[in-house]
Amino acid sequence: MPKRVLDWLDERIEVRKLWQTMTDRPIPGGSSWFYVLGSSLLFVFALQMATGILLTLYYAPVPDHAYQSVKYIQEEALFGSFVRGLHHWGATFMVVLVSLHMLRVFVFGAYKKPREIVWLVGVGLFLVVFGFAFTGYLLPWDQKAYWATVVGTNVAGTVPVVGGLLLRIIRGGAELGDFALSRFFAIHTYILPWSLALLAGLHVFLLERAGAGGRWNAAERTPYRSEPLFPHQIFKDSLFILMLFLALSAFAYLFPAPLEPQADPTDSSYNPRPEWYFYAVFQMLRIFEGPLELIGTVILPTVVIMLLLLVPFIDRRPERSPRRRKAMMAAAALAVAGVTVLTIAGARAPIVGVPAVTEESALAGRQVYARSGCAACHSIHGKGGTIGPDLTRVGARKDRAWLDKFLADPQAVKPGVLMPKPDVTAAERRELVDYLLTLK
Amino acid sequence: MSEQGITRRNFMIRAMVSIFAFIGAALAVPLGGFSIFPALTRRESGWSDAGTARDLAVNVPQERRFFEVVKKGWREEKVERAAWFVKQASGAVVVFSPSCPHLGCGYRWMAAQQRFECPCHASVFDINGKVISGPAPRALDVMESRLDNGRVLVKFEVFQLGTPKKALAWRRRHAETGA
Repeated sequence: MPKRVLDWLDERIEVRKLWQTMTDRPIPGGSSWFYVLGSSLLFVFALQMATGILLTLYYAPVPDHAYQSVKYIQEEALFGSFVRGLHHWGATFMVVLVSLHMLRVFVFGAYKKPREIVWLVGVGLFLVVFGFAFTGYLLPWDQKAYWATVVGTNVAGTVPVVGGLLLRIIRGGAELGDFALSRFFAIHTYILPWSLALLAGLHVFLLERAGAGGRWNAAERTPYRSEPLFPHQIFKDSLFILMLFLALSAFAYLFPAPLEPQADPTDSSYNPRPEWYFYAVFQMLRIFEGPLELIGTVILPTVVIMLLLLVPFIDRRPERSPRRRKAMMAAAALAVAGVTVLTIAGARAPIVGVPAVTEESALAGRQVYARSGCAACHSIHGKGGTIGPDLTRVGARKDRAWLDKFLADPQAVKPGVLMPKPDVTAAERRELVDYLLTLK
Repeated sequence: MSEQGITRRNFMIRAMVSIFAFIGAALAVPLGGFSIFPALTRRESGWSDAGTARDLAVNVPQERRFFEVVKKGWREEKVERAAWFVKQASGAVVVFSPSCPHLGCGYRWMAAQQRFECPCHASVFDINGKVISGPAPRALDVMESRLDNGRVLVKFEVFQLGTPKKALAWRRRHAETGA
């Protein structure tokens, strides 16, 4: 039956010939495990498309519901934690794979004539993957999402002259709110997927036209001097994809995607940290301060992107052997070492400022505090009203028993006090006390 | 190509087909389940207060609106509902689902003709909900209701339409087991 269908199609659109053209592409030097990265990126991207589309079945891209809908996916939806886990870890896999792929092509000198355009499109794809990563983590609208995006978008604000305008364009206003979330959602789910699909198609098409680079020393290698893409290379690709899939599933199952408490724009105790693959950029912002800030936010990133784009035009000798391209290899080693050192330093950056509330109950208490309108009368770290006492150091002044008794019935403890009885359940009162006790 | 080469080639083709078949099958369950689980979720309607019974006249159908608290995914919402209420001579109140059992249009009471008429495909029902004429495959759907302290309480439910047999449009949770 499949043969008859193939015959039918072949008679009309010559599918066998198409398959031949696609799979007979010669690889100078033969198949290699080094070449599995590109096709595995296609696989992970397809998986990201599938899980991403499914997540939109339940996700609501408005600040009022975004967090609750993600929580619903994570905690209640059937296989929700797994699907979100696949998408979350898939993003990390994309970032790692695209970086390794670029490094491999660089070391093999595969960007040289006639494949310069393939490399240029590849740099575009690299940027699109990071664009995905950056726009994706605002969507859950949790603390990390909100604060990392506040910081990330403020980077755009440091651009001279047009910075303020740029920032307002990216956020859809001066502050991070409904329009920012809609924008990030539209970019993440409409603009970037199409960009990636089109660029990836172009990337593969251009490679097909220019021909695979293969080994720099293909002519000297025995017994194979050249091997078609099919079956050996595609077999290796398939095996690697299987390994990736098993690893990704294990990650998604064993390490659920994190979800922090709902975004709270008034929270000054939160220590914003980006995803690990932005630690290097994050660390640069810590190194270049004050008047030098522009170096970390605008100049260095621009220089890096320009350099990447210029690689095939800087190194134009036909020589592809890494051994005889010492300067380029040194540059690659320096770049890898630089990113690694910055990433590690970023990961180890000390938590600073107000003692962060990390205990779950205290975090819940913070929300009770915000929800119950306590800030209308009380201040913490200078934020809030002045009718009631300042609570910045209340945890040092009062103990648990007193706070619990007072919050249960203020009049019973201090007759005539202005403080109204908080409209909270006993459990919420405990959380509120846990929170207040962290204020020291 | 040598014979050995052909065997090797065939092995690789089979292995590749198996790998992608395995990945497809392994994804089908979680991705499929995630896509369709709302259809498999059971639900139970609670009692909604639909006003007093005193204001209803015997054998004079009245359309009333009321609120039902519905859990929709991550939120609970007060949803406005409507139904037709017919007070019987015994004092009991019969509550009809507001959807014509044919294809779901909102039907209405024609006081002059003393019958319910559907504006879409001209189904006609008597005051007890029985089909008089038209394409409706079954009588108007009666919803569970009871009187409590002079108030009419209704269990609002949605029914499958177009079928001769009355059936719920969702899977009902069994209150005792919670399953």
